Amino acid sequence: MATVFQDQQLQRVNGTHAPDWLQPIRAQGSAAFAAAPWPTRKTEAWKYCSLKTLAGDSYHADIPPITAANNKDLAAAATIAGLDSYQLVLVNGQIHPELSSALALEQVVLFENANTDQQAAIAEQLANARQQSNHHLFNDLNDAVLNSGVLVTIGRNSQLDKPLQICSINTGAESAYSVNSRVLVVLETNAELTLIEQFASVSAHDDNSFTNNQTDIQIGDNARLTHYRLNRMQSASAFIGSSRIDLQRDAHYQAFHLGLGSALTRNDLVVNHNIGGSHSEISGVYVPQGSQLVDFHTCIEHAAAHCTSNEVFRGIINDQAKAVFNGRIHIHKDAQKTLAELSNKNLLLTNKAEIDTKPELEIYADDVKCAHGATVAQLDDKARFYLQSRGISEQDAQVMLSFGFINELLDALPHPVIGDWLRPLLAQRFGRAPAFTTEQVEALS
Amino acid sequence: MTDAPTPVLTDPEANQEIHQRFKKEYAAGFISDIESDTLLPGLNEDVVRFISAKKGEPEWMTEWRLKAYRSWLEMVEPDWAHVQYDKPDFQALSYYSAPKSMADGPKSLDEVDPELLRTYEKLGIPLHEQLMLAGVAVDAVFDSVSVATTFRDKLAEAGVIFMPISEAVHKHPELVKKYLGTVVPQRDNFYAALNSAVFSDGSFVYIPKGVRCPMELSTYFRINEAKTGQFERTLIIADEGSHVSYLEGCTAPMRDENQLHAAVVELIALDDAEIKYSTVQNWYPGDEEGKGGIYNFVTKRAVAHTNAKVSWTQVETGSAVTWKYPSCILKGDNAVGEFYSVALTNNYQQADTGTKMIHLGKNTRSTIISKGISAGKSQNAYRGLVRMNPNAAGARNYTQCDSLLIGDQCGAHTFPYIESKHPSAVIEHEATTSTVSDDQLFLCRQRGIDTEKAVSMIVNGFCKEVFKELPMEFAVEAGKLLELSLEGSVG
Amino acid sequence: MISISNLHAKVEDKPILKGLNLDIKPGEIHAIMGPNGAGKSTLGNVLAGRDGYEVTAGSATLNGKDILALEAEERAREGLFLAFQYPVEIPGVSNLEFLKASVDAIRAHQGKEPLDSVSFLKKAREKIKAVNLDQSFLKRGVNEGFSGGEKKRNELMQMMMLEPSLCILDETDSGLDIDALQVVAHGVNAMRDPNRSFIIVTHYQRLLDYIVPDYVHVLADGKIVKSGGKELALELEEKGYSWLESEA
Repeated sequence: MATVFQDQQLQRVNGTHAPDWLQPIRAQGSAAFAAAPWPTRKTEAWKYCSLKTLAGDSYHADIPPITAANNKDLAAAATIAGLDSYQLVLVNGQIHPELSSALALEQVVLFENANTDQQAAIAEQLANARQQSNHHLFNDLNDAVLNSGVLVTIGRNSQLDKPLQICSINTGAESAYSVNSRVLVVLETNAELTLIEQFASVSAHDDNSFTNNQTDIQIGDNARLTHYRLNRMQSASAFIGSSRIDLQRDAHYQAFHLGLGSALTRNDLVVNHNIGGSHSEISGVYVPQGSQLVDFHTCIEHAAAHCTSNEVFRGIINDQAKAVFNGRIHIHKDAQKTLAELSNKNLLLTNKAEIDTKPELEIYADDVKCAHGATVAQLDDKARFYLQSRGISEQDAQVMLSFGFINELLDALPHPVIGDWLRPLLAQRFGRAPAFTTEQVEALS
Repeated sequence: MTDAPTPVLTDPEANQEIHQRFKKEYAAGFISDIESDTLLPGLNEDVVRFISAKKGEPEWMTEWRLKAYRSWLEMVEPDWAHVQYDKPDFQALSYYSAPKSMADGPKSLDEVDPELLRTYEKLGIPLHEQLMLAGVAVDAVFDSVSVATTFRDKLAEAGVIFMPISEAVHKHPELVKKYLGTVVPQRDNFYAALNSAVFSDGSFVYIPKGVRCPMELSTYFRINEAKTGQFERTLIIADEGSHVSYLEGCTAPMRDENQLHAAVVELIALDDAEIKYSTVQNWYPGDEEGKGGIYNFVTKRAVAHTNAKVSWTQVETGSAVTWKYPSCILKGDNAVGEFYSVALTNNYQQADTGTKMIHLGKNTRSTIISKGISAGKSQNAYRGLVRMNPNAAGARNYTQCDSLLIGDQCGAHTFPYIESKHPSAVIEHEATTSTVSDDQLFLCRQRGIDTEKAVSMIVNGFCKEVFKELPMEFAVEAGKLLELSLEGSVG
Repeated sequence: MISISNLHAKVEDKPILKGLNLDIKPGEIHAIMGPNGAGKSTLGNVLAGRDGYEVTAGSATLNGKDILALEAEERAREGLFLAFQYPVEIPGVSNLEFLKASVDAIRAHQGKEPLDSVSFLKKAREKIKAVNLDQSFLKRGVNEGFSGGEKKRNELMQMMMLEPSLCILDETDSGLDIDALQVVAHGVNAMRDPNRSFIIVTHYQRLLDYIVPDYVHVLADGKIVKSGGKELALELEEKGYSWLESEA
C-alpha cells in the first residue's frame, strides 16, 4: 500500500523533463519505488528511523526559482573560510552558473551536457548503483526522477590542483518541495581528489525542502579520495543521502561526515573493498538538538583479502533529539587478512534524548582481525575533576569536555582548515564561543 | 597493523588434525527401548484439550492453553534470526509422548521403569538418591513427562517446592495461576505461544521468603521418542530474600529427522532474591552432513525486582539450530542481570543466541559475556539487546562478545542492539574476533604440547570467564563436553 | 595559611588518613615524605576535593575558610592548587582554551574581568617558555600525548598562570630526569613569595636538594609521625623509613 508521499512523488516523475537516454533508469526506479513498501518500525534498516517527517507532507510543490537578490548569501554559504576550491553550487538542485567555477573544468560534466560517450559511462554507473547492497526505496526514487546530475572524472595519474566542492543550498518555499541530487565520481588509476559535499540552507523562513541525495564513487587502482559530507541545513528540512564507494586494488578512501542539520537526516554509507590492498578510513560526528533525528547507517564490505578499514563515529545528543547509528562490518568468505575496526561513542545530555546504536559484525573468514566497540557514556570523571581542580565549574567542565569529545575528530581531519571552519559552528551548539581566533592559535607555531 | 600477517592453518597437517578433532561422536546418541504412550501427529484444539485432560487439569488451565493456541494460529514463524532451516511441519509432529509404564505415575524411584533408570545412568545422571552427587536434587523429564524428582522430602523441610509443573497445577494452583505467563505471556512469540498451548511438563520451583535453597536443583531433559516435539515449561519463583541455584541439562538420541524442542522458562526474582540458572545444552546436533538434530527454539526470561539478581549461564554445544535469548527484565531499582554464554557450533550447526537486558529500574546493572566458537561449516551469531528506559538513572551495562573461528568455512556474527534513553546510563559494548593461529599452535608444539591439547587449551582459555560462573558440578560436565567436541579418537 | 586538624579520610571504606595535623604559615615550604601507601597522595586529593575521598573527621581551613565544605572548583578559586602525580589527558580540549577558562573562573571569583585574549596569550607564552616547553604545546589537547616530564612541566605552567596561594605538589618529581627536575625546582623557587605556601609531597629526598623546605614531615599510616627541619630529609635518605615505622 503506497503512502500519500509515494503517490505524490511518483507524480513528480511525469512532471520532470529528462533526456531519452535517462529514461530506462527512470523507468526502473519508478517501478521499484512504486512497489516498495513504506518502511516501518518492523523494517530492520529503518527500525529506529521514523519517516513521519516525510509522511506528513507530500513535498511535491514546484522548486522555487533562483533570484539574483540572494547571491551574496548563497556565495557566503558555499564558502569554507580559508579553503581555496573549485566550486559547484546547486541551488534547490539547479546549477548556479555564476557561483560555479568548477563548470570550467573538463573533469566536471553535467548530465545534461554529456556527450554520447559520457552518457554511456553515466548510464553504466547508474545501472551498477542499482545493484549495490543496502539499496533502498529512496535510491529508487532518486533514479525515478533523475533528470540532472554531476559526473566528476579524474583521469589516470592525474589530480585536481584544488579540492572540488559541491555545495547544495536550499532556500525553502511556500510549500514543501523535493530536491533530487546525484553525483557520480570516477577516479581512474593513480588519480587523486578531495571532494567536499556540503548541504546548507539559505532562507529567510524555514527551509522546508526534502533533499534526496545519492553519490556513487569509483576509486581505481591506487587512487585516492578524501571525501567530506557535511550537512548543516536548517532544522525544518529533511535529508536522505547515500554514498556508495567502490574501491579497487590499493585504493584509498578517507571520509568525514557531519550531521548537524535537518529535522530528519538519514545517511547510508557503503564502502566496498572489492580488490585486495584497499584501505578506508571514515569518521563522523553528529550533534542533534531540539527534536532532530540523525541516522547514520554504514556498511563496510570486505569482499577481498588484505584490506583494512577503520571507522569512528561520535555523537552528542541534546534536548529531545534522537540519534541512530548502525555500523556493519561484513567480511566475505575469502577476505582473509582483513583488519577492520569500528568505534561508536555517544553522550546523552538530557533525559529526553535517545541513542540507538547497533554495531554489527558478519564474518565468514577466519584469519581476520575485527573489533567493534560502542559506548553510551558519561564524561570521564577524572577529566572533569582535573578541570574542576583548576577552578572551572562543573557545568563549564561538562561543556568543554563534550566539545572536546567531538573536537578530537575535527583535530584529526586531513584538511585542518576545514576543522578550523567547523569548530566555531560546532562550538555554537554548546553555547560556547572559542576564546581565540584561528590566527591567534596559528601564531603559536 | 602492518606487521606481516599471521599464517593460519595453512599447514595441511594441522588442518587435518583439527578437522579430526571436530569429528566427535555424539556420546548421548543412543535410543532407549521403552514402550511409550504417544499421541498421533497433528495439532488442533482437541489435541490441546487432550493434553490438558491427560494431565487432569482444571478448567482455567485448559482455557489458558486454548487462548495460547488461538493466538498461535494467528502468528507467523519468526525469520529474522541468522539461521536457515526447513520450517517444521507442525501437523506432522506428535505433541504428547510418555513412557507407558508411567501411566499411573511412579510413587517412588523403585517403581520407575528400570530401563528408564538405565537411560539416565548412561547419561551420567543417576536418579538413585544414594548415588547422587551430594547436594543436587534432580527432576528428570523424559520426552514429555517428568519421571522422577529426587530429594523432595529434604527440600520440603526447608519449605522449598520442587516438583513437575503438572503436579504444581494441582497442588499449588494459586502460585501457578499467579505467575504462569507473567514473564513470557502466551502470545509473546510464535514458539512461546505454541509451548503455552501444548506444554506437557517441566519443573516448578518455589523458594519461600528468606530461604536459601539447601541444595542445587537440577532438571535433565531427554527427548527419546521419534517425531515428537518436546515442549517443557519451567517456572521458578524466588520469594523475597531467597536464593536458588538451578541447573539444566539436555540430550536426545541420534535420529535422522529434525526434532523440535520449544521450551519456555520463566523466572521471577522478587525483592532481594537471587536466582542462578545454568544450562548445559547438548541436544543432538545432527551428523557431519547436517542431517538430523534438534531445533532448539527456546524462550527464557526473568524478571528481577528491587535488589534482586538473576544470572544466566549457558554452555551450548548441541542442537542443529538454536534460537535462544535468555533475558532479564530489571524491573526494580538496583536489580542485577547477568548473562554468561559459551556457544560452540560445528559441522552444519547454526546458533543465533544472546540476551536482552531491559533496564527499567534505577541503578540497575547488567553484564553480558558471550563467547562464540565456530568450527566446520557452522554459523554462530550473538544477538543482544541492551535497553535503558527513561527511568533507568545510573544504570550500567557491560557487554563483551568474543568470537573464535576455527577454519575458513564457518561464520561468526554479532548483532547487538543498544538503546539508551537516560543520560546517566552507561553502556559499554566490545566485540572481537580471533582464530587459533599456526603461530600459537607452533609455540605449543615447540614446547611439547600436541596440537590436539593445544587447541583444547586455547578454546578453554577463551571460555574461562564463562566456565568460572558455572556451579562446580556443571563446570566439570561443561569441560568434558568441550573436550569431547575438541578431542579426536585419540582421546 | 592552611590549618589541618585531626583529619581522617577513607577511600572505598578503607581508612587512609587517621588523624593528620598540619599548620602551614604564609611563605613556608613544607615537605611531606613517607613510605608508599602512607597516605601522601590521599592528602592532596582530599584537600583538593576529589570524589571518592570521604572525610570522616577533622577539619581543614585555608585562610580561615573551611575548605572541606567547598566543591573542588571553589577550593581552586580560593587559591588551592594541586599539581597532579598523574595528570589526565583530555583529547579534544586544547590547553589554551582550558587555561583561559580556568584563569577567567579564578579571576571572576576575585571580582576581576576576564583577561583579554591578547594579554592572556602573552602571559601564556611567557610561562610556557619558563617551563621549557615549546609554545605549540598550548595548541595541543590537555596533556594529550605529552611525555611524563612534559605533563609535569605543564602542571607547573598552570600553577604559574593561576598564581595560587597554596600549592600542593603531589610527587611531582617522580619519573623526572634531572633536567626536568631542575626546571620544576626553578619554577617553584621563582614562585616563592611571602604570601604563598607549598606542600611538597615526595618519596625521595632529591627534589629537596633543589627546593629547600622550611619543614619536613614524615607521614606513616595516615599520621604525621615525625617533623623536623630540612636535615630530617637527609636522615630519611640515609636510614629509610623503617626505623620510623617501628617508632610509630
